[in-house]
Amino acid sequence: MTLKTLTKPWEAMSYGFLDGSAKREMRRKMLKSVAVPGCQMPYASREVPMARGWGTGGLQVSLTLVNPETRVKVIDQGADDSVNAASIRRFIARVAGTPTTMDTLKADLIQSRHRIPEEVLSEDQILVLQVPNPEPLRPVQPNMSIARQMHADADYGRMWLQLYEQIVRSGRVMQGASYPSLVNGRHVMTPSPIPRWDVPKLHMAKHLTILSAGREKRIYAVPPFTRVEPLVFSDVPYKVEDHAKLTCHRSGATGFFMNEIPQDDGSSTHEVSDSEWGVKAIRVRDGEKVALGETWYKDGEMPQ
Amino acid sequence: MAYVATRGGERAIEQSERLFRSEMGAIDGARVQQVKESLPYLVDRVMGEASLYDEYLAALALAQTGGELYEAVLLLRAWRTTQPRLCVAAPVEQDRLFTHRRISAAFKDIPGGQVLGPTLDYAHRILATEVLQGETYEPAAVDPAETPTPAYHPGVSAWQAENDLVDLPEPDAVLGNDIPDLTREPLLFPSKRAHTLQSLARAETGGVLALGYAAMRGYGQAHPTVNELRLAEAEIEVKHPDGRSFSAGRVKVSQAEVVDKKGEKLGLGYAATFGWNEVKCIAAATLDLNSPGAEKGSPTEEEFFLYHTEGVESSGFCIHFKLPHYVTFQSSLDAMRDARAKKAAKPKPNVTEPAE
Repeated sequence: MTLKTLTKPWEAMSYGFLDGSAKREMRRKMLKSVAVPGCQMPYASREVPMARGWGTGGLQVSLTLVNPETRVKVIDQGADDSVNAASIRRFIARVAGTPTTMDTLKADLIQSRHRIPEEVLSEDQILVLQVPNPEPLRPVQPNMSIARQMHADADYGRMWLQLYEQIVRSGRVMQGASYPSLVNGRHVMTPSPIPRWDVPKLHMAKHLTILSAGREKRIYAVPPFTRVEPLVFSDVPYKVEDHAKLTCHRSGATGFFMNEIPQDDGSSTHEVSDSEWGVKAIRVRDGEKVALGETWYKDGEMPQ
Repeated sequence: MAYVATRGGERAIEQSERLFRSEMGAIDGARVQQVKESLPYLVDRVMGEASLYDEYLAALALAQTGGELYEAVLLLRAWRTTQPRLCVAAPVEQDRLFTHRRISAAFKDIPGGQVLGPTLDYAHRILATEVLQGETYEPAAVDPAETPTPAYHPGVSAWQAENDLVDLPEPDAVLGNDIPDLTREPLLFPSKRAHTLQSLARAETGGVLALGYAAMRGYGQAHPTVNELRLAEAEIEVKHPDGRSFSAGRVKVSQAEVVDKKGEKLGLGYAATFGWNEVKCIAAATLDLNSPGAEKGSPTEEEFFLYHTEGVESSGFCIHFKLPHYVTFQSSLDAMRDARAKKAAKPKPNVTEPAE
């Protein structure tokens, strides 16, 4: 045996940037998080060549899961060409040699910030959501160690009280995005700052969702076919954003989550937030043949 | 594809990075060398916050980021995390530190003596403006002492322990790879002692100072007396696979030990870091001194100060607010508008005079 047979030629960087020990830890923690749906698992969270808070948690998951055949899609606010999504996509492709796509249907792995695509994801797709703050209890308990104990005890009383107070004060639950949801009947999680529109897409979904907060060093998951129920009182139903009747001024699509674009005359127009869905709608309108996936929402309604 | 072409994100980010880098121009070995030689304290600070001791890499990170400190530290940390851990050096004992400066505010004189070493403490802070008039600022030469100060000193707290003034912490027998490593494990609370000290060692100087200063001003219970402040070089003693120990070199370290009376004994606060950084060590040791029994959520509570002095995390999160947030904003607007509409639709209650 020689030293040469035991070693590999020197390389400036490991495949997929993270070294073997970092990936092994990620895999273990991902398995743990799948085993206990919605439960936050602490992990080391290595530094990556991007600033904390810019998708480093999602990136570590993606870098661990990809191989050279994994087709990767990255979106931010629903858009593939948003600057940070472009930066992350370029980085993954650069260090892992993965093919990239903007088409939701063709992607094996989708890393996203703040949105779930409008087309239904399938069994063989993985959604990686970037999470700024993994702790749904933060507004009622900023101390992480106390909040951890509260999860262990399923002590969600203060969470309910907060929702109740909002209804009393404002006539409705004022939570915008990041709507707290009960996973598998046990752990309350924040679904990351996706709009309320997107939360029902996680419920009994066919795909695996991994949520990862790099700065806060917590990872959790929604495995396929798992219950995800927004916290609501039985007499005050869950309400998604009032976007069902809005029409995209570019593509003409109706019944999807929209971006509001303020106009000079004081009014607003709207465009579809899922940019690739918008592109497809435009191409269909222009007479191209485009493969359209089934959408979660039909005529602006999420079938129960 | 009109939808996408209107934005052109990829090209924009490429050009914005070029614009940033064009200000610094070409970076070569000479520039890195110059940064290393002319800014040793900045290099030290960056090495401490990155928990990576390599003056050249730190100088390169500073050159590459134009001195954007948070970026420089992130560059080093991202590089460091991919490197294999070849071995863990032997623990450094107090009396084995090659000491350059060692002072105590607790006693007029201490065993081994007060060693001022290099410091600006007593300098008159006057800008050498003549340099800008074309003159050269030539620092006066150092007159060496007749008898050099011994390089090795015991800790002041060792004398205090002998005199039953302080209870020193139990020696930690954990060695090598069994030492908890903050860069490979998450920080959980109550935190392991090793994690606390490591976290303070790599904390952001300004952050530690802000919270340490808050404790000093009165938001902490303990008032620090600097028992000992040391700037030193530590021997990196590692084991060769054949069993022999050898020195892999020396690294600059600084440490502070602060005390306060706690009942009949002294309470101890301690912090150490790579490089020479006195402000950080005194502030960090003050936080450590104040942390036992601190109220949850107070600035001197461990969870509070360790989370909030993490420079890479805090700076990253701060600048992330520049990223688009229009989806979450839209979601909030929707709730706001709906609440307003509900309020407008509700019939106004008849306002009556308050009950007498």
